Amino acid sequence: MTMTPERFSTGLSYEAYKAAMSRNRERVEANEPKVILDPEVVRFFKGLPQPLNVVVLAEDWCGDVIANLPVIGVLAKAVGTLDLRIFYRDQNPDLIERWLNQGKYQSIPVVAFFDQRFRELGHWIERPASVTELRARKRGEIFATHPEFGSPDAPIDQLPDDVRAALQTELQKMRDETTPFAYAEVQRELRELVAAQPVR
Amino acid sequence: MTAVKVKITYCAECGYEEQTLALAKALMYEFASQLSGIELIPWEGGTFDVRVGDRLVHSMKRDGGFPEPQRVIAAVRGAVAGARPA
Repeated sequence: MTMTPERFSTGLSYEAYKAAMSRNRERVEANEPKVILDPEVVRFFKGLPQPLNVVVLAEDWCGDVIANLPVIGVLAKAVGTLDLRIFYRDQNPDLIERWLNQGKYQSIPVVAFFDQRFRELGHWIERPASVTELRARKRGEIFATHPEFGSPDAPIDQLPDDVRAALQTELQKMRDETTPFAYAEVQRELRELVAAQPVR
Repeated sequence: MTAVKVKITYCAECGYEEQTLALAKALMYEFASQLSGIELIPWEGGTFDVRVGDRLVHSMKRDGGFPEPQRVIAAVRGAVAGARPA
């Protein structure tokens, strides 16, 4: 797969992608105000020697896309140096094959940075590992403090409906509480990714 | 109708609705009124579990991927046969 200016131009802008969403647009837009931009990250991207072309792979049903695409959308709008083009993963198998998670999983979102000559600078997948680790730890704490939820490894369908609903509420609360950390980590990783490759 | 119930727990954040509905549809067509119910449970974390009665016949985490519908149908057929009065 070679990204070309022609193909890149067929990707959707952030606003066009949102307008085309068949579901979850309200969840994406509800996440936008939660994105607190790090001034250092904004300064870094604003100071790039040349604008970057950014390919994003997404699907509108994906939880990680709903959570993290707004970070990239808000950041791109603020810095003005990131030309964001969004492609549907399932309509672009050659793209996702290029950026498989651990070489085998079709995880999204994928955010791939290209310079003006469409040389890839690097790519980012799904969510920061630090966020996965933090949420796994917090999930363990929830189960530890709520014995009624049973074992964290037990099949969820074995819980009574009301207990399962209570667990879902606790997990959502935990996700909401860890969102500021998650959004800061996404920005940090995107910055480090681009900073690691000299933009000529 | 037997007391056999099928539960399909699927990751709603992973876009597994299509596979869930396809399996539920296959079971509905195959068993018509022979089941006491088919329960669809939206969950998270990459889950796709199928329980027939008390038996977990498929778990994405345990077995990998989605189940072959025929394997689930065979498990249900066995459970239905076992639940019939002698």
